[in-house]
Amino acid sequence: MEPIASHENWRNCFSEVAPGLLLFARQWVQSAADAEDIVQDAFIKFWRRNHDIDNRGLLYAAVRSLALDFIRRDARRARREATALAEAEAAIEPHFELEDDTQSTLALAVESLPCDQREVIVLKIWNDLTFNEIADALGISQNTAASRYRYALTNLKKTLQPQ
Amino acid sequence: MNDFSELEKELRKLRPAQPSPVLFERVGEALKESRASASGASSKRRPFTQSSYSNWWSLGFGLATAAVLILFAAVTMERRREHQQTVAQSSAVPETRPAPLVTERSTSRGSFVPAGGTNLVYNARDEGLHFADGSERPVRRVRYNTQQTWRWRNPETGASLRVSYPSEEVVLIPVSGQ
Repeated sequence: MEPIASHENWRNCFSEVAPGLLLFARQWVQSAADAEDIVQDAFIKFWRRNHDIDNRGLLYAAVRSLALDFIRRDARRARREATALAEAEAAIEPHFELEDDTQSTLALAVESLPCDQREVIVLKIWNDLTFNEIADALGISQNTAASRYRYALTNLKKTLQPQ
Repeated sequence: MNDFSELEKELRKLRPAQPSPVLFERVGEALKESRASASGASSKRRPFTQSSYSNWWSLGFGLATAAVLILFAAVTMERRREHQQTVAQSSAVPETRPAPLVTERSTSRGSFVPAGGTNLVYNARDEGLHFADGSERPVRRVRYNTQQTWRWRNPETGASLRVSYPSEEVVLIPVSGQ
């Protein structure tokens, strides 16, 4: 991935990172609209400060921080929303663009991962962050990020193994 | 990690959902607004800077004026005090002494020349009639409390020296009987 802050056109930059950022935000926020709000705020803050590639983890840290703030601020609404979504799963906007049943199974397996493993998988696979950048974004050590990634893959493999 | 390479490949095939086109418009608008507000803030800062310059100028002028006024007041007070001393001397003290010659000589060695002296009487007490030293004629004893000030000036450098000290004088005035 090119240095995102070096893009003269923010639109190119944003179209490159937005899907991964949205997916990352939706680890905490069910609604796609709320996730878009969070991503918008985080990206604007990041773009204004014009961070370079070395600080890319800060963009994801900003998304995470805003998402956690959103949950705290709107806990009641989030609970109500979670209940409603559980009752009507069809209404949930999908996190992925699914092409077949295999991908649906894989997506479900990812969503069933523990949160701390899932966020590392999302940052590594769909946002191309290094373990160092993941560590910066999540406020953990690089070793912890790597071990969570390994645990996540192990869990996914277990889940996807034919019974 | 080789155990997971196939799984990683499968995961990468999953494509995250794309953001809505509206999000791009919203981000664009927000960036435009932030740029406008930043330039607005800088353009607002300019008149503030100008006014702050004028504030500094006015502060400078104010300080200069205050300094001049203080100097003027100090000079005026000094002159007034000298005038009062002269008045008090002429009214209460029977005589004005010039600076002693010894002092004059000693100061002249240091290029200082006498520039004047004052003898301010701030208290005069009449202690009544007395017969001094077995004299048959009475004398009136008057006690004066004074503040004597002597000034010297160096004409070459303009430096001045002032010595001031309190003194007490007892004057015996013969009383003539009729």
